[in-house]
Amino acid sequence: MTTVRGLLSRRWVLVLIVVITWVILAAALKGVSTLELSTAADTPFTAWLRDLAASIRGNRTKSPAFLYFFNPIRLGVQGFIEPIRSVIAVPAEGDLIPLFGWLGVVALIGYIVYATSNLRTSVLSMALVFGCGVLGVWADSMDTLALTLGAVFLSLLIGFPLGVWAGLNDRVMAVIRPVLDLAQILPTLVYLAPLALVFLIGIASATIATLIYSIPICIRITAHAVRSLKAGPVEAAQSMGSTRWQLLTKVQLPMARQTLILGVNQTTLAALSFVVIAALIGAPGLGKPVIDALTIRNVGDGLTAGLAVVLLAVMLDRATTAAVLRSQSYVPVAGPALIRRRIGLIGGGIATVVAIVLSRNQLWAAVFPPQLNFGEEISAFFDTIVSWVTSTFDFLTTGLNTAFTTIMLNPLEGLLANSPWYLTITAISLVALIVGGRNVAVLSVFLMLAVVAIGLWHDTMITLSQVLLATAVVMVVGVVLGVIAGRSERAERFLKPVLDAGQTLPAFVYLVPVLALFGPTRFAAIVCGVFYAAPVVVRVVADGVKGVPSDMVEAAVASGSTTTQVITKVQLPASKKSLLLGANQGLIFVLAVIVIGGLVGAGGLGYLVLVGQSKPELTGKGLAAGLAIVLLGIMLDRIAHASAQRSDRSSS
Amino acid sequence: MTNTRGTTVILATAFAATSLLLAACGSTVNSATSSSAAAASPSTSVSGSASTSASGEASKACGKWGMAMNAWVGYTASAQVVSNVAKSLGCTITQTKLDEAATTYDAMEAGSVDVVIEDWGGGRWKEWVDRGAVKELGENGNVGLIGMFVPQWMCDKYPDISDSANLNKYAEMFKTAESGDKGAWYEGPPGYTTIGEKMVSANKLNYKVINTGSEAALIDLFTKADKNQTPVLAYWYTPQYFNAKVKLCRVNFPKSDWTDAAKASGLTDYPETTLVKLATTKLVESGDPFANLVANFKWTNADQDSVSADIEGGMTPEAAAQKWIDANPDKVKAWTGQ
Repeated sequence: MTTVRGLLSRRWVLVLIVVITWVILAAALKGVSTLELSTAADTPFTAWLRDLAASIRGNRTKSPAFLYFFNPIRLGVQGFIEPIRSVIAVPAEGDLIPLFGWLGVVALIGYIVYATSNLRTSVLSMALVFGCGVLGVWADSMDTLALTLGAVFLSLLIGFPLGVWAGLNDRVMAVIRPVLDLAQILPTLVYLAPLALVFLIGIASATIATLIYSIPICIRITAHAVRSLKAGPVEAAQSMGSTRWQLLTKVQLPMARQTLILGVNQTTLAALSFVVIAALIGAPGLGKPVIDALTIRNVGDGLTAGLAVVLLAVMLDRATTAAVLRSQSYVPVAGPALIRRRIGLIGGGIATVVAIVLSRNQLWAAVFPPQLNFGEEISAFFDTIVSWVTSTFDFLTTGLNTAFTTIMLNPLEGLLANSPWYLTITAISLVALIVGGRNVAVLSVFLMLAVVAIGLWHDTMITLSQVLLATAVVMVVGVVLGVIAGRSERAERFLKPVLDAGQTLPAFVYLVPVLALFGPTRFAAIVCGVFYAAPVVVRVVADGVKGVPSDMVEAAVASGSTTTQVITKVQLPASKKSLLLGANQGLIFVLAVIVIGGLVGAGGLGYLVLVGQSKPELTGKGLAAGLAIVLLGIMLDRIAHASAQRSDRSSS
Repeated sequence: MTNTRGTTVILATAFAATSLLLAACGSTVNSATSSSAAAASPSTSVSGSASTSASGEASKACGKWGMAMNAWVGYTASAQVVSNVAKSLGCTITQTKLDEAATTYDAMEAGSVDVVIEDWGGGRWKEWVDRGAVKELGENGNVGLIGMFVPQWMCDKYPDISDSANLNKYAEMFKTAESGDKGAWYEGPPGYTTIGEKMVSANKLNYKVINTGSEAALIDLFTKADKNQTPVLAYWYTPQYFNAKVKLCRVNFPKSDWTDAAKASGLTDYPETTLVKLATTKLVESGDPFANLVANFKWTNADQDSVSADIEGGMTPEAAAQKWIDANPDKVKAWTGQ
């Protein structure tokens, strides 16, 4: 234990020496070789990208790559999603309602959930979907639901076989793993522009973007499910002469069923969480009002739509979780319970059919009744609250913003962005060398030089300074709340719904009130990053603290340690691995939101991505900024990962 | 176990099949709507003028077209008025929310939208026109003027602030934590025509350009500055409904000498821009009544502001547009020729 502490502290002393030298040199060389570039200026690389993008745009109708590859994919995806939309979301030309009116949709959802889980979840699901109508966003909610379900189906169609294959075959896994890793750290904003360039703005692009986000999750969980099976039954089946196909379908998949349904759950939530950002490239549904709330001042409507996203997320989460639980019970339903369930299924089925018929023939069941639509009132209510908060706490928010910006953000940005680029690269790679080892230091130098070559060094450093500060705040918040939740079950039960909501609420939704509170500033982006990443870190830390063996804690208490001592000397050191994992997750989550912060005045790479999307002459700059975000993400992830592994090795 | 689950699956499939079968046998709600046109629809209220098109004149039937919806309220006002009038002609108009410029032109080339009713960029659509996808349809009557603005109280208190030559004298006042030791220059959203960085460097202004990212941010800044009598210098434009709510004062730079923002030197001011309409070649060559309507559409800044103000005041765009249409039958008649 002492040697571990010794190793650790020696490392931190070295880091401290590097940082102090860095600060002194940066102060002496302030403003030298910062590689600052104005928004409108191109570098050779961005100019090349711009011309490339223009030629891609020009060739969409001629080039064979488009005629025989991209365009058929686009039409295929569109042809798959549109029919789903026409059932629940989009009326055909001249029609008032889609195939099913609102009552039919509610009943159908209730019936499907009842058939796959139980009555209670079914009633809850119907209430939540009904709630979307009460919020006044029925049509948009159905559009989002249709797109999500379609994307989930395609994700499973592609991800499930790949996941099974990767689970059975190590070589396939070795090929797929780096792609999965990259997909996890790629901020979603980055692949919107290239997709829109190839697949155009619209449902196809939005769906494909969602797939890129959700398929890796599906593959990962499926492969894990197949891999983690106990060898016994598999060997038994093999020894009895099963073919590979029999082995897979009769033994491996049924045994892994529970994890597989969990995969459906995670894939669904991932797809849903993407719908808002996908609205930037033409996804229909709830994303649009949220983005409108930002572009034209409309806090209330944005929050209302965001709330509907949460309702849908809770509904899909509970429905799939309940299906997992049901598949878990190996006790066969029998006797009166079986009869009751059969009656329920038949009765529910008849009721559903009646509801669908009604929803196609009665106006009250077809179009969500205006008497039950409280959208405007709810939106006005949100507006009032936000404007009350902003005007009442103006002095507080302005003070907080100014203090944080002057004391922390400006100096850090000065250090990273306003000192010579070679100094910053040297300093960062030295820190990487100390905390992560030689390999990751070499990788960092290479990645940072690539950013310099692209020509976006200065903007990358502006983004990095915000990411680092937001992560620091996230870690403080995460450790404090995580320790509280890990130590007390009551606190955890209290925090759970807050964390759930925080994880499902799309980041865009709180950009709007945060913008109102803090104005267009980098601080606003940092606040959003903290809100978005904190729930994950709290979860990871709480799990880590809970995982500390209870005899260790009891021994410390018995030997007279105070609560603070138990936390700082026993529980936190023992869960160091979780803390580092939390930091790694926190960094990646923060990066994803900080770049969206370009919409609220954060500048840096995120702003360039957005500008590239709307100004043709800056397309190249935007694409290059997306690439720089990827390089930055890989660097941060690798450094955090390597330092976690290293401390793991030194403590074992 | 397998047995009960099997039964469940069979039952569920049976009901799913039944409901789909039922769905195939017609809906009275839908057939009611298609016979009495859009009049029964609760979301749109175009019934007022629907009677004109229902009179059975031998005019060419109107088709199905897409209208691009860019973000700002002024655009929404123009696009909604044209959409409402088009619906009264019997056209089916699908509105699609899109970023302006490249995104929208791409969508036109792909055929998902057909009309941009208000475009601010002097010729940025050239690439798409050259490829034959898009055609310029001339002015829409609105004149846009972008510029840097301060709240009116500042011009009252410091009259010479409206001259860009004096901006450096007042830079100290505009300092924030965000801009450090310089004045804060709040720039417009990414999609808008902006040359702030060039103006600051060409005129050697002691200001730092802060990219606000959204129109909401600008409105927040001006509202706060007006209410608290605090200084702010930010990007803004006319026509804009907000100008009726909060009085702003323009900071004038030397007279503009450019039309293409990409080639502007930054020394001079933004030019007055006559806003133009764009349409797909497909629509222009269709001879459709909608093509005719878009080609003839023209109104003033005051017209647009009145509709915008109603939208901002809480009316739906459909209702606000219809209110203006009902109040201005002559202007509408000039566009439709009916």
